[in-house]
Amino acid sequence: MTESKPSPNFGPAIQVQGIRKHFGHLEALRGVDFELRKGEFLSLFGPNGAGKTTLIGILSALTRPSSGTAKVAGYDVKEADPEMRREIGVISHASFLYADLSPLENIRFYATMYGVERAEERAIEVIDEVGLKPRIHDRVRTFSRGMLQRLSIARAIVHNPSILFLDEPYTGLDQHASGILKVQLQALHTDQRTILMTTHDFSRGLEMCDRVAILVRGKLALWKSADQVDPADFERLYLETVEQAK
Amino acid sequence: MNQYLSQVKAIIWKDFVTELKTRELFSSMFVFAVLVMLIFIFSINLSIVSASQVGPGVLWVAILFAGTLGLNRSFALEKENGCLQGLMLAPVDRSAIFFGKMLSNLAFLLIMEAFLLPVFMIFFNVDIGSHLAPLLAVIFMGTLGFSALGTLLSSLSSNLKTREIMLPILLYPLMVPIAIGSVQLTGQILDGKSLTDMMNWVGLILCFDIIFISASIMTIDHILEE
Repeated sequence: MTESKPSPNFGPAIQVQGIRKHFGHLEALRGVDFELRKGEFLSLFGPNGAGKTTLIGILSALTRPSSGTAKVAGYDVKEADPEMRREIGVISHASFLYADLSPLENIRFYATMYGVERAEERAIEVIDEVGLKPRIHDRVRTFSRGMLQRLSIARAIVHNPSILFLDEPYTGLDQHASGILKVQLQALHTDQRTILMTTHDFSRGLEMCDRVAILVRGKLALWKSADQVDPADFERLYLETVEQAK
Repeated sequence: MNQYLSQVKAIIWKDFVTELKTRELFSSMFVFAVLVMLIFIFSINLSIVSASQVGPGVLWVAILFAGTLGLNRSFALEKENGCLQGLMLAPVDRSAIFFGKMLSNLAFLLIMEAFLLPVFMIFFNVDIGSHLAPLLAVIFMGTLGFSALGTLLSSLSSNLKTREIMLPILLYPLMVPIAIGSVQLTGQILDGKSLTDMMNWVGLILCFDIIFISASIMTIDHILEE
């Protein structure tokens, strides 16, 4: 499989400076700045419409920022360098999976698109990692939301990315599926992998992260180290921060 | 280059496996094309006009209408579950996505046409056996341009709520040169003329094929972005 090659200027894993994004008159992001070091896990909270998904869209080079700069794995996101794309994996609300193909066909397809060597072997390996090997030949259309989300993880890690963007991965999962997902995310959180997760679930968001941020109306209203945050008091802190920022 | 080709092949393979499992695209295109021909057959008196005069027009109308169904489905598949975004996240040249989709559309259309030609022979009582090679060449050239332009425009219209309406509105006017050329060539081939006698029409179709493919490669980046 393809090794994650560090770029020549590999400083912070993610570096965001003054990122703004307009959709017509609507200002989705109003100057966001932060840095994440390699291996750090950031949980990004915020009300609906705060700009979390837009930020992930920009960092994964799916959306161009209106102004400001963002570097991911040392690459400017505006350039959308193929090498940068090899460094990132994205898990979103949408699974990005073809409903009429099997898990093996889906993951092998994405492995080929990422230029992974021995695509089939690697696909079987990651499907096994997310516990879906018994359903490897079934149509994805027959899968539950929890199984789809696990298969999305397999899709996102098939090329062994050094940076993962998780956009509300717990949305729509029951307690059991949510627990399984948590175990899998813990396994993905290594010293070598930087993770940025957006979520509305305080307990899930706080249990794994190194840094906590709250995005309100397109601006970071709070940025703290996880050990500076009391999980028991976080709901109050969140509501106060959101209220003040509005 | 090897990776580019394997990415194009993977997209074609994915579309074929999906079609083999669902059988939605081919059956709907073929049934629709046969129905279009049937409607024309009932409205034309073949004892007054010859088959070589009206047949080519009916054949190409059936191909274009049925092909539009397939093109609409082509990028709709990519929009389901956000698959197009998944493709855009991968280190794939946008032109590889275009060529993969265009070649699979072309292959589906050619397969449909292979089944449609015998139906055309029966409905219009024409013998295409003696003109098969030039006829296949014309069908290939016409279908190539249609697939190239259709793939580009279906990627453009796939983001619109009214994509089923927008695709034909955008596609048919631009297809006029290829459609006229293909109908003319098909008619003259059925009349027994050689393809070498009609090089002006062949040139016209090939020129538009090249223009559509080149324009698609130049614009697909911007069309697929956001």
